[in-house]
Amino acid sequence: MTGIGYTIPAVIAVILVCAWEFGILHTGLLRKPGYWISMGIVLAFQIVVDGWLTKLSAPIVLYDDDHTIGVRFPFDIPVEDFLFGWAMVTAVLLLWERQRPKADQADES
Amino acid sequence: MGHWEYLIVLAACLLVTAPLEFFGTGVYRQASRAARAILPVAIVFVVWDALAIAGGVWTYNPTYVTGIHLPFAIPLEELLFFLVIPLCGLLTYSAVNATLARLRRKDDRKARRR
Repeated sequence: MTGIGYTIPAVIAVILVCAWEFGILHTGLLRKPGYWISMGIVLAFQIVVDGWLTKLSAPIVLYDDDHTIGVRFPFDIPVEDFLFGWAMVTAVLLLWERQRPKADQADES
Repeated sequence: MGHWEYLIVLAACLLVTAPLEFFGTGVYRQASRAARAILPVAIVFVVWDALAIAGGVWTYNPTYVTGIHLPFAIPLEELLFFLVIPLCGLLTYSAVNATLARLRRKDDRKARRR
């Protein structure tokens, strides 16, 4: 339950993604309502998919409790997974935004 | 499902999100832009995955993976995870933005008619 192996890297990943956007990229992604709506949808699907991958009755991925804070919610999802998932998806969306074609600016898609 | 289970979960993610391609300008139709968004992040997360596996932070249940491994004991399914899930995220974001733009245009038309 030290959190050394997963909790700390997961928190750092979130901080790095924020620093990347606010310090370097300045895409404005995190100020767009479309981003937060999308992340809400992604979160709902993460609970289903990640819940399946981590369910303790028949787990596909097994975590060493020594490396997490030991909180698994909802279902049996280690809470660190939500930081991991947020950092991964947000980083990809940031690169996608940065490469927005000029003609596409108005359409926002 | 056995050894195919993790692969089937990933395939289901692709199947469920596929229709989102048709909401707006799409993601599959901008494959190189998608690759330039997904691949650099995937490389970082694959390295993280390899370190976590090496450090025993997490492991994969041999019952539910094919047993095909990449270097550093990374299951094939994990590499695919870092491609499939971000792709699903992009499809969601693209579809949400297209829907918001459509609603905005509809509002504009209504406002002009008034």
